[in-house]
Amino acid sequence: MLLHVIRRLGVFVLTVMVASVVVFFLLGVLPGDPARAQLGLQASEEQVQALRQQLGADRPLPVRYLEWVTGFFSGDMGLSYASRTPVAPQVLDALQVSLLLVLGGICVAVLIALPLGILSAVRHHRPDGALFSGLSQLGISVPNFLAGLLLIAVFAVALGWLPSGGWSPPAAGVDFLRHLALPALALGLVNGAILARYTRAAVLEVMREDFMRTARAKGLTPGRTLIRHGLRNALVPVVTVTSIEFANLIIGAVVIETVFVIPGLGSTLIRAVANRDLIMIQSIVMCVVILVLVVNLLVDLVRPVIDPRLRSTR
Amino acid sequence: MRPAPSSTALTAVLAIGALTLMTACDAGADDASPADGTDSDGVVADDASVSIGMFAVPANLDFTTTGGAAIFEALLYNVYEGLVRVDSQGELQPLLAESWEISDDGLEYTFQLREGVTFHDGTEFDAEIVKFSLERLDEWSANTPEDLSAIDSVEVVDDHEVTVVLSEPDYDALFWLAGPLGTMFSPDSVDSLATEANGTGPFEFVTYENAVRMEFARHDEYWGEPAGTATVELVYYEDASAAANAIRTGGVDAILRSEAYDQLESLEAEDDVDVLVGSTQGVVVMSMNPDHEALAQPAVREALQHAIDRESVLAAATAGYGEILGGPTVPTDPYFVDFSTTYEHDPELAREKLDSAGVEDLSLTFTVPNRAYAEASAQVIQDNLNEVGIEVTLQTQEFPAVWVEENMVDQNFDLTLVNHVEPRNMANYAHADYYWGYDSPEAQNLFAEAASATDDDEYVATMQELTEQIVADTPGVWLYNAPNVVLSTEGISGLPENDLGVGIDLSDVTVAE
Repeated sequence: MLLHVIRRLGVFVLTVMVASVVVFFLLGVLPGDPARAQLGLQASEEQVQALRQQLGADRPLPVRYLEWVTGFFSGDMGLSYASRTPVAPQVLDALQVSLLLVLGGICVAVLIALPLGILSAVRHHRPDGALFSGLSQLGISVPNFLAGLLLIAVFAVALGWLPSGGWSPPAAGVDFLRHLALPALALGLVNGAILARYTRAAVLEVMREDFMRTARAKGLTPGRTLIRHGLRNALVPVVTVTSIEFANLIIGAVVIETVFVIPGLGSTLIRAVANRDLIMIQSIVMCVVILVLVVNLLVDLVRPVIDPRLRSTR
Repeated sequence: MRPAPSSTALTAVLAIGALTLMTACDAGADDASPADGTDSDGVVADDASVSIGMFAVPANLDFTTTGGAAIFEALLYNVYEGLVRVDSQGELQPLLAESWEISDDGLEYTFQLREGVTFHDGTEFDAEIVKFSLERLDEWSANTPEDLSAIDSVEVVDDHEVTVVLSEPDYDALFWLAGPLGTMFSPDSVDSLATEANGTGPFEFVTYENAVRMEFARHDEYWGEPAGTATVELVYYEDASAAANAIRTGGVDAILRSEAYDQLESLEAEDDVDVLVGSTQGVVVMSMNPDHEALAQPAVREALQHAIDRESVLAAATAGYGEILGGPTVPTDPYFVDFSTTYEHDPELAREKLDSAGVEDLSLTFTVPNRAYAEASAQVIQDNLNEVGIEVTLQTQEFPAVWVEENMVDQNFDLTLVNHVEPRNMANYAHADYYWGYDSPEAQNLFAEAASATDDDEYVATMQELTEQIVADTPGVWLYNAPNVVLSTEGISGLPENDLGVGIDLSDVTVAE
């Protein structure tokens, strides 16, 4: 077990290192000049050249990489080309917003997926089971930006219950929840539908297992059998899929943040790309990469805790 | 297998789920209550707040080193001021200078400065500040400091009188002084221009949350008429629909330069939203590269002028809002002449002109910035040109990063189109190396003549002659003047209707009780 943890941590560190090289050099060749983007349409070539020098954008790539990567991991991500202020606080602020949004999305997804998945599995021979199954199929086919626009049209514009966009920090309490509700719903609906399909499949599979029949034979009711023996087994693939979904949600958040005017990583990234704010782009992408890797690492470490069978195989 | 922990865990998950669900329902119920005032604005006139949706997002607060209009349009006239200003009709008005005199040779501008003016940090405004600010133009790297390159020196006469000496006459100098280039800065503040704003204007700068919102508060010791609202919040949107939704749902009180053209009709129908359509400095122009063999011929360029149906372009780009143009000037320019009927839509005539030039099988690449107005316009133009036998390949490019590089710097295009939003942008036709490659010695002479004019009439007459010359030479197809659509909720008044490419003056905005 300890060896497994050490090995996973080693792979994690190595992946982060490789990712930093890929992120830096791949984004470094983005067409468009950062200096020109800052100075605007009317700037002369001399002005652009001067700024390029000032930003250090004319130095060799490996030098800039080393400077960036050492800075990044010591918490100093450098100065944004566009805002001329430190990148780190901006990225961390945006990261916090996106994480809250993604967590909200996951809550919605899980709240939809578990009941919908379990019900459609348990009742898969009946019309209502088929209906739940159909609902989740429908949910998968709706892109989350469309879900967002529809939610705005209904709950913000037509009914006026919730704001159509914007963000409030968690300290704002109710106002925070008001602003979080629609984007989290838009983000979670689609992923909830996907997750429901996996839950249904996992529950169906586990219901056919011998130990389930044994449990029934020992006198447990179908409900208790499912809750005590079935769900715990079905949970393993569901947790794995949820972690994969987490990466999807972060990507989905990019779109949702634009639709709902939320100052998270996604909207910050899009603006940074438009401004060719390279340092900002590289730092955000790197943060997302690390985040996804951390979640994968955690799931890898947590799975043996949920499923004791995985412990003995290591 | 030990079932006990798993059922505990499951119960916990279910409990958290139920709690979350309840909280969510709770929040929903709360929202239905009309008494909830988190998004609402004050309604008492004098201490009212107003929140205004905007689109161009400032990257930081320093317009001396960051290009684009986003920063100065928010700060100038509100936080910062200059010696003179341009009013909503495009007329020059005194601001920090009470009056001025121009010498007969047009080389010396002597300004009488307003007394008792201080910056928000308490620094006194005087002639030394004027000298400092204008001499600092050498350090600007963005927003065309060369527009005031005619300034040779600034001489302090006394504390409240200053003479700006030009090396050559420039009739536009006062206009440029009324814009961002004429901003007065306190010497102690210039090291922190990117993050703070210390001016002499009716509002103090409070905060800027990057790309989210900017806040101003009324400056109580302002030298002039106090601002109409106690605070102003500028809320930044990337998306026109998101902003339109915000005004429908009370998220903002007003929106400036809305491009939600498809929603204007339904917004106009709403009782509590006012829609006002003014003009901008924006000239949407399709440039034709003179280095292209066929496009070098005037007859071919005229053919394109006649082939394009500007009405349809306007309908596609802005749902018909805005003014059709036929020349490089806009209605708020003092020398505006309406050329919208000069090149009428006439495909037959276009074909004749192409024949007369001996051009057959012309195929052109049209590089289009990835902006809604540009893509919509380009598609109409592509159809129009197909109709007269010109094959057009559309190539969308990311704006500004890629488009600027490809078209403005490398001049690698046959046809391209963009909305030139900088004020008095006709001046670009004076520069032969500008991307559209208009190189006319006659026009350049007329520009010089206009610059050395000594009175309004002479200046206007020369500029009009010049416009006629440019229109006849047809270096571009001028399509339309982009509209300034102002949306406001009931009770909000004093929003500037026309966008003059300088600061957006919000000091007159008031909220009815």
